[in-house]
Parts: sequence; C-alpha cells; structure tokens
Amino acid sequence: MSQQTPAANAEAQDLVITRLVRAPRATLWRAWSDPGLLKEWWCPKPWTTEVRAFDLRPGGAFHTFMQGPDGGTSDNPGSFLEVVPQQRIVFSSLLLDGWRPATPWMPFTAIITMADEGDGTRYVATVMHPDRASRDRHAEMGFFDGWNTCIDQLEALARAHLASA
Amino acid sequence: MANQSALLTAVFYALADPTRQAIVGVLGRGPASVSALAAPFAMALPSFMKHLSVLERSGVIRSSKAGRVRTCELRPKALADAESWLAGQRATWEARADRMSAFAERLHQEELIHEPANPRRKR
Repeated sequence: MSQQTPAANAEAQDLVITRLVRAPRATLWRAWSDPGLLKEWWCPKPWTTEVRAFDLRPGGAFHTFMQGPDGGTSDNPGSFLEVVPQQRIVFSSLLLDGWRPATPWMPFTAIITMADEGDGTRYVATVMHPDRASRDRHAEMGFFDGWNTCIDQLEALARAHLASA
Repeated sequence: MANQSALLTAVFYALADPTRQAIVGVLGRGPASVSALAAPFAMALPSFMKHLSVLERSGVIRSSKAGRVRTCELRPKALADAESWLAGQRATWEARADRMSAFAERLHQEELIHEPANPRRKR
C-alpha cells in the first residue's frame, strides 16, 4: 500500500526527553501518581495546574486545566492507557475517560518510564505525535482543526521559502 | 551563530506558553485581526497584546496596520528555523522534565528528613 515506513515517519515526530534524577524511583512515582504533588510541577509558574480528573488506571481520565496570571487557560483532557506502578505510565490526549475518542488540539501519546540507575533514577518521557500520513489523511477529512492545519501550512510555506531562497 | 541561537531561544520561549501556542494554532489557519484573535481568550486586551508582542519580537508572527485594524500573520521562517512546531512541544516537555526532576529531588530530601530512624540515611 504505502512505500513509506510508518515507524520511520513516526520517529521524526517523536520527542525523547531523558533525565538522571537524584532520587529513588519510589519518589518519582509519588511525584507522578499523587495529583496533589503533580500539580506542583506540571506547568511553569506563574501558571497553575488544576487536576480535574486523575484516575490512574487504563482507561481512567487524566485531565489537567492550566491557568495563567492574565486569564490565559489551557484545557487538556485525556486518559491513561497503561499503568505499571513505579515503572511506566502511558497517557494520551486522543482518548478520554473510558476510551472515548477525542479530537484534541494537540494529539499525542506520552510514555513515561522510570528505572533504577546508580544511586538515582533514569526518567524518560517519550512523546509521540501523529505521523505525516495520518496527519495528511486527517487534514483531508477536515478532522483536526487549528494546530495540525497550522503544521501543514507552515511546512508548505517553509518549503516555498527554501525554494525561493 | 550566537545571534541565531538567541533567536531560537526567543522562539522556544515564545512557544512554551499555552496561550501563545493557541494563538499560533489559530494563525495557522490564516491571518487574523487582533480583535478576532483575542475574542476566544478570557483575558484583558493589554495582557493579550503582551502575548502578541512576545510572539512578534521572537519573529514567530508579524503584524501590520490598515486603517484601524491590526492584522497578525505567521512568519514561517522563524518556525522553520526552530525545526517548526515540534520545537514548541520539545520546549514544553523539556521544561516539564526539569521541573519534575527538581521536584522529586526536593521531595526525596524531605523524605530523608522525615525518616530519622533510617540507619542508611545519606548525609
């Protein structure tokens, strides 16, 4: 069907962010699994996070609502897909509570892992975004609005700019 | 090169804010007047203008005035330079990982203080 390899495409849209944290795995798990603690670090100050739903199990809601000092807001509903205590959390903006499909402004799935390393913990956040083929398909369907349209338009404009340079 | 790096830093900073990300998302559909852009945001116009000005200084958007209407549009060059929209997402998640790490390390220090009976406690 397609000559493109979806995996190669997907990788180009992935972010892999890693940190070696000087704290035990159990502590990282606390920071992540207790919504009262998560809201302390989830968004940059002076923005504040309200955890509207935090049902830490596959299919459970994970909904954050962020507010800026000047009235700006960012509403981010989603759900957990996989939860392995002290090891792994997978969540997505593409499914809501009970697997209900969503059309988020920023479609992504994030995989958070924690593993012992030396005296500390290796923390890895992998954030996957839709691959080019599905983005195009969705764009044709008029499925996603806003950001994805923006991406496609930017890429076209950037290509035009390079061509004319 | 240093100049280029400073520009990228400005672009990352501009894109790390959820309001400004949303503005860029809207402008991705085409140019828009300031009043049309501001309408969906529940914030005072001066605050909204500050966000536009951060975006404009970073080179992500540009604006022009015709009569009494100021129109904003994306400047794709700045975003292309910053490896496009993905850079904004990277900035968001990198900063979040930094905050999580710092928070967990502080939390760990508190845990040590509140466990005085632990004989293997590090000094």
